Amino acid sequence: MSRSMTSAPEWRLLGMTVLLALLAGCGPTTVKVQGSFPEPLMEPVPLTLGVWYTKDFANHEFFDEAKSRSESGWVVNTGEAQVAMWDTLLAGMFSRLVHMKGKPAPGQMNQVVNAVLIPHVDELQYAIPQHTNVKVYEIWMRYRFELVTNAGKPIAEWTMPAYGKTPTAFLRSDEAAVNLAAVMALRDAGANFATSFTRVPAVAEWLDGRQVGKVPAVARDMPAEVGADSDTVAVPVIVNGDPSAGQAVEEIKEVE
Amino acid sequence: MKTTLFGPLLLITLLTTGCVTSTVDEMVFNEPTAGIGDASVVILGRRHASDYETEPDFIECVGDHISSRDKSISIIDEIDFVNALYPWFEPRTAPLHPGDIDRLLAQEPVAQRLRELKTEYMIWIDGVTVRSDSAGSMTCGIGPGGAGCFGFGTWNNDSNYEAVIWDFTDRAEVGRVNTSASGQSYMPAVVIPIPIIAPVQGTACDGIGDQLLEFLSSEY
Repeated sequence: MSRSMTSAPEWRLLGMTVLLALLAGCGPTTVKVQGSFPEPLMEPVPLTLGVWYTKDFANHEFFDEAKSRSESGWVVNTGEAQVAMWDTLLAGMFSRLVHMKGKPAPGQMNQVVNAVLIPHVDELQYAIPQHTNVKVYEIWMRYRFELVTNAGKPIAEWTMPAYGKTPTAFLRSDEAAVNLAAVMALRDAGANFATSFTRVPAVAEWLDGRQVGKVPAVARDMPAEVGADSDTVAVPVIVNGDPSAGQAVEEIKEVE
Repeated sequence: MKTTLFGPLLLITLLTTGCVTSTVDEMVFNEPTAGIGDASVVILGRRHASDYETEPDFIECVGDHISSRDKSISIIDEIDFVNALYPWFEPRTAPLHPGDIDRLLAQEPVAQRLRELKTEYMIWIDGVTVRSDSAGSMTCGIGPGGAGCFGFGTWNNDSNYEAVIWDFTDRAEVGRVNTSASGQSYMPAVVIPIPIIAPVQGTACDGIGDQLLEFLSSEY
């Protein structure tokens, strides 16, 4: 009489694993875009620029349903790479880059900057050789930028395209090729922004109308009372690095 | 042992290499008769066409071809150069004419970086290798007794590349080298597929590399 080496629960576990593996094979192809982005080589624009990434932008992903069984669906996650690229580009392009604590709006407590840039990805399209019969992987994006004051007052709003492509290559997977095409599209976005920012008519008009290096009048026009900011917490007074010194100052005042 | 292996290896290499036909046209001016000294050369691929891209490995092959034959010629890696001068050599922003060099050099950080890199010549390569006229069929199978293929396949590869040489000092185009190569590859399969590949892209790389070497090197 032979004894079974595998118990019934183990068979069920094995079955579940195989089923999950098979189902995973049917899911969409996910690409989390990863790449390194160089600093721009240019004279910095003499502005302190704030940047605010919306949740949609920082977690941006593009999802495309499969059109047939032979074509798998795609999820292209560009959020992390977008933030990495724009942080590197803007830090090199402007005298100072500040990440804002909150979205600029009347009553929103924030750092004082000359203007705040809010980027959006309005549209993303991709093409792979199975779609086009051309041996090139392509990614196309349309950005929308808002340039606003600290108080959220619009200065300029404009759109900008970006395009990246990469040819098919021996032993390169679809995922790697789409990732490379997305990195090229991000680099193109950076190049397009860096070379066209000061030529956007509304931006050029704003730059002409202000003395570079000073806080513009529109940004100083802050409300008398500012609203609560969840990211801002009360900080105790610290004198010469001693937290208790603040209390000591109060005690001295009381004695006087 | 080495002698006994060399013969069969050479025979296998010859048998598994297809034939390639190659043509090279060259037109150059102002050759540096004493070589380029301690200056450097950058070889870049054109990437602004919508339906093809000059392959990065072809650019690397031409660079390796030149630097391996004349060690005194310093070739800057394409990716390093493009990253060092970002965003001025992206497909959208790259200069298309030698006259555009002035526009680049008007920006002090760019001019400073190019001085640091000692770039004397910039070589733009535009072209691609494409596969055409494929024919034949092959069937492969796998079973408990083993696996194997049967059939015959053939295809043609065509390469066409043009290298344009820009002189940074004179801000002028000083040469143009064109190479085209084509070759037929075969793959017969009786149990095991035997690829007989025509090195079309490699021949084009050697052709354009030799001509550029003649221009840049004082030894050739």
